[in-house]
Amino acid sequence: MSSEITLIGRIAPVLAEGLYMTLELSVLAIVLSALWAIPVVLTLISPRRPLALVARAYIEVVRNTPVLVQMYFIFFGSSILGYRLTGFVAGLIALTLQNGAYIAEIYRAGIQSVSQRQTESGLAIGLTPREAFWVIVFPQALRKVVPSLANQGVVIIKDTSLVATLSVAELTFEARLLVDRTAAVYEIFLTLALLYMVITGVFSGLMRLVERRLRIVQ
Amino acid sequence: MDLLIASLPLLGGGVWITLQLAVLAAMVATVLGLAIAFAQLFGGLVLRIVAEAYLYIARGVPLLVLLFAMYYALPYAGIMVEPMSGGVLVIGLYFAAFMADVFRGAMLAVAQGQWEAGRAIGLRTPTILVDIVLPQALRVAGPPYVNTLIMLVKGTSLVSVIGLSDVTFVGRQIIERTLAPFEIFGAVAAVYFVICFALSRCGAYLERRASFVH
Repeated sequence: MSSEITLIGRIAPVLAEGLYMTLELSVLAIVLSALWAIPVVLTLISPRRPLALVARAYIEVVRNTPVLVQMYFIFFGSSILGYRLTGFVAGLIALTLQNGAYIAEIYRAGIQSVSQRQTESGLAIGLTPREAFWVIVFPQALRKVVPSLANQGVVIIKDTSLVATLSVAELTFEARLLVDRTAAVYEIFLTLALLYMVITGVFSGLMRLVERRLRIVQ
Repeated sequence: MDLLIASLPLLGGGVWITLQLAVLAAMVATVLGLAIAFAQLFGGLVLRIVAEAYLYIARGVPLLVLLFAMYYALPYAGIMVEPMSGGVLVIGLYFAAFMADVFRGAMLAVAQGQWEAGRAIGLRTPTILVDIVLPQALRVAGPPYVNTLIMLVKGTSLVSVIGLSDVTFVGRQIIERTLAPFEIFGAVAAVYFVICFALSRCGAYLERRASFVH
């Protein structure tokens, strides 16, 4: 029993630090991806075809390559260029680029699902097309895509574990160190898996609350 | 450019490993995914609970953590698994959960009336399933199935972390010696892009075909 207590005493503080790092990276990556996806989707649905093609090409490239390779590309690439990014920043950029592309597609589906009549009504009461989009269409689109955004958020949280390969001391990295040091393989990996399930579970639960608040009653 | 040409044999070996992994893991994921979907739809209470628990774990735990767990925990328990079979197994098991969602969703998308119509003309449940419901469900499942395959191909890159020399691993090794990250990781990314983009075109084709039905 006492040896178990010492084990917990050794593991808990290290995992807590990793947990903090994972939460920080997750929140930043989710917020930045959701924001970055806005200019991407605007370009994607823009009537100027060359611009829309650029956005399409960007989306196809990042969606069809692994986020891990993108992380390596940015991390090792930045140091060759002389701006050595930390693993945290390189990981954050890669996660944002990858998930921003997915979220842009989610926004696009949402925008297209808002009836054309909404825009027409806006124009009829004297809004400019820009105002009609931002005041009428986009807010409704956002409300409709909350469940898809929640799913993508879970993907992001899970993918933050990849920055462990760039030696960022987040949850997975710390757990691996602890395994090497304490040889308590099962306890540590079980705790690690449970922690991720709790984080993603809490996030999904929160998003369901948001969804319920924002649901459009048809 | 010379560097890329010099690296080709090494990268080629990595591509071969990646392809093997992807194909084998996709087979595991497809078969198991179907089994889970069936368990959820037609299983008794125990089977359904097992299936739900399985999905819950795969949805909440990162693939990398599962790979590490396999890599560290199994040898510790005295079970020696070859990295390749271990990788195929973990990736297959992980993506089976997402495949199950695809298949279950597709089965549920087939109207209930199809079952009733089958029963009305006196067909038995297995016949209705195989001859009426599954053919329609597979059409619906095509595009999301391909999307999951793309995720799986990208997911295989994680095995580089547990020492399997797939194309990502080889790329990282070459970088350590040559310091040419853009060329090498550009080439590595291109390999994945070719595979995944081809898949996504197939998905788009299936989507067009499926949409003719409605």
